[in-house]
Amino acid sequence: MVVTTGKNSGREREIVVGVIGQPNVGKSTLFNVLTGEISHVANWPGTTVERKEGVREYKGKIIRFVDLPGIYGLSASTTEEVIARKYIVEEKPDLVLVLVDSTAVERTMYLAIQVLELTPKVVIALTKSDLTHSLGIHIHVDRLESKLSVPVVPVSAIKGYGLRELLDAIIDVAEGRRCRREPIRVNYGSFLESTISDVERVLSKSALSRKYPLRWLAIRLLEGDPELEKELELLGEDEVVHGVRRIRESLARTYGRELMELFVAQRFKFIDSLLGDVVVRVEKKARRYEELSLTELATALLDRLIQHPLMGPVVSFISLLILFSLIFAVNTGFPFNVLLSYLGFSELAELIEEYSISGLLGLGFTYLSTLLEPLLKTCLGPQVTSLIVDGVIPGVGAILSFLPLIMLISLLIATLEDSGLAPRFAISFHNFFSRFGLSGRAIYPFMIGLGCNLPAVLASRTALEEEERRQLIVSVPFIPCQARLVVILAFVTTYIKNPLGQALALLSLYAISFLVALLTSILTRRVVYRRKEPPELVIELPPIHRPSGKVLWWLTWDYSKHFLRKAGIIIVGLSIVTWMLLSYGPEGYGVGIEKTYGALLGKLLAPVISVLYGLDAEKAWKVGFALLHGFIAKEAFLEATSLLYGGVSIDEALRALGFTLPSLMAFLVFFTLYVPCLPTIAVIYQESRSVRLTLSVILYMIGIGLVASQLVYLVLASLTFLYS
Amino acid sequence: MTTTALDMVPPGTRCRVIALDVGYGINRRLMQMGLVPGSEVKVLDNSGRGPLVIEVRGVEIALSRGIAKKILVEVLK
Repeated sequence: MVVTTGKNSGREREIVVGVIGQPNVGKSTLFNVLTGEISHVANWPGTTVERKEGVREYKGKIIRFVDLPGIYGLSASTTEEVIARKYIVEEKPDLVLVLVDSTAVERTMYLAIQVLELTPKVVIALTKSDLTHSLGIHIHVDRLESKLSVPVVPVSAIKGYGLRELLDAIIDVAEGRRCRREPIRVNYGSFLESTISDVERVLSKSALSRKYPLRWLAIRLLEGDPELEKELELLGEDEVVHGVRRIRESLARTYGRELMELFVAQRFKFIDSLLGDVVVRVEKKARRYEELSLTELATALLDRLIQHPLMGPVVSFISLLILFSLIFAVNTGFPFNVLLSYLGFSELAELIEEYSISGLLGLGFTYLSTLLEPLLKTCLGPQVTSLIVDGVIPGVGAILSFLPLIMLISLLIATLEDSGLAPRFAISFHNFFSRFGLSGRAIYPFMIGLGCNLPAVLASRTALEEEERRQLIVSVPFIPCQARLVVILAFVTTYIKNPLGQALALLSLYAISFLVALLTSILTRRVVYRRKEPPELVIELPPIHRPSGKVLWWLTWDYSKHFLRKAGIIIVGLSIVTWMLLSYGPEGYGVGIEKTYGALLGKLLAPVISVLYGLDAEKAWKVGFALLHGFIAKEAFLEATSLLYGGVSIDEALRALGFTLPSLMAFLVFFTLYVPCLPTIAVIYQESRSVRLTLSVILYMIGIGLVASQLVYLVLASLTFLYS
Repeated sequence: MTTTALDMVPPGTRCRVIALDVGYGINRRLMQMGLVPGSEVKVLDNSGRGPLVIEVRGVEIALSRGIAKKILVEVLK
């Protein structure tokens, strides 16, 4: 009897499927329906693009789906396109599943044709086929199938039909029962065809022709493909590169335009003739307003409003502001708690805070700590107890209190994205943000940043290009979050009694922070990336529709899981480190606050602080110590100050620091800008995967904080001098 | 038959693309979205400021003015 090892038999039966599709064709929905659970998340080598895999068992076979990035074609002009092409050629999946949107076949078929030119092992899924009927679209699937000689399966991930047929087709193709033998041949017309043959002759001796189909290689090189040229040069075949380049350039001169234009146009012509008797569109009679359903009417109205030249930005801004405020309110009571307590209804404000998600979580953790403390002390001694109660539990607590916020915000963003509203809102803000080297999509991280910097850094993923994403990661942390507002308000209400003065102080702090954030973005683009032009906006506007609950949940959970896994470890680790700094000193454990390493660090900072803000040494080290606390969580600054003054009220403690108006404002500018909180730093690292960038952000922020704060001090001090 | 830059075309007008004079990466992206010389587009929204919205092969696309300025089209009746 032959015994096969478990690993081998598993590998023999496993069918690997690369899943590919243009943006907005419903790839993530179908991927989730097919696989249920994502089994494996990693990055594509050398990039920050995520690679997801999922497994499905069907008829005794194991099918492994690999999610390829959403791309428009295989020209290799973006990182995502290079990834997809490399995967198909180098990892050789059993087949490629190409998704084509049945509501926009004429456009989305382009990628399918490009994949078919590269490999014959293809299955096409026509997505969103539940929508075709109401749009007056009919697709003759059998005709398309026989023309392309690959399985074409209409599916609806939302309604759940077509999935069995799709899985059957996948197994058939993988086992060689229903598939083409050769890649598809698009006829590019006699002139281009003879050129392709010429280039094929040049390439036939090349080592690369063993890796790629010869005809495909010739076409790609004629279209102009820096990736493939690089590969040829690495093989030492510079002559081939020059030979092909000569042919391409001389033809481009005769034609007066790039050859790629001719190839793409021919490909679309091929698609049009392919679809001629396949896709039938029945022109629906334009209906009068009375005939529209309420949702249709609302959708149409919303669409018109958002795109209105004057109303658009206003409507977009107000809608987003309301949506995000509601989410923050559920989570922490912000901004209503601040507003109410400012208006004198402090009891109501406290009530809102207490019953917000983070209020309840905080209560839970305090309860846990008090419950555990005596128990732990008897078994483990005071040091370990303090480690658990003051180091580990607050760290885990921080992660858990960020979690609902992150989930709610990702839910909102997922809703905006999946409904097609997100790109429409973004258009309204493009004019403004393009002045600062960003696209209109920057509105999302900027607005979220007002509530909390951490999910704002996560939302940098909405950027259109890698440079824009990095610009957002370095500039968003300057936006004053809710925690910073709490500290600012405590200072402002303690030191300034006149309501108008309070409002003025607050507004100018926000203005300075936003200015610094926006200037940081444009400077990063100009100086670091040397890009003069703002990111150009080319985005698709999918039709507005009601999002699917299932999809929203997947997107939200995906986002949150990532945060828990990556940032969670860093946050708990750093929270233990800070616990050590604040409980140990050179003389050991339990020496009193003034002799801990944290206090020593505060004293190290004291001379600088005392020069900058005119405080004496005794007050200066306390501020330094409190600033260290503020690094863990911004609002901890207040607690730390009151602790240093022997637990007096926060008002009293702040007053005891003895700021003057100019030094107060200067200090608050520094406090707002100097560095985001520790969990945000963890996420900056998680998103950029660069220690250098993370450290640069910290140093840059401290530097800018010092400079801006000194400028404010000079201006205010000279003004005070003039008017006194 | 009038030839003009896409950003000058009023909303509701159909036109045919003549040439694209944009950077390498965007050129490729636009072409793969179906915006090649010879293809027909319809301008849906163009307020004179901010991005404009066009329809290409049945899909709505928003383009910033910087790009639209560099797309040469002929206006169809």
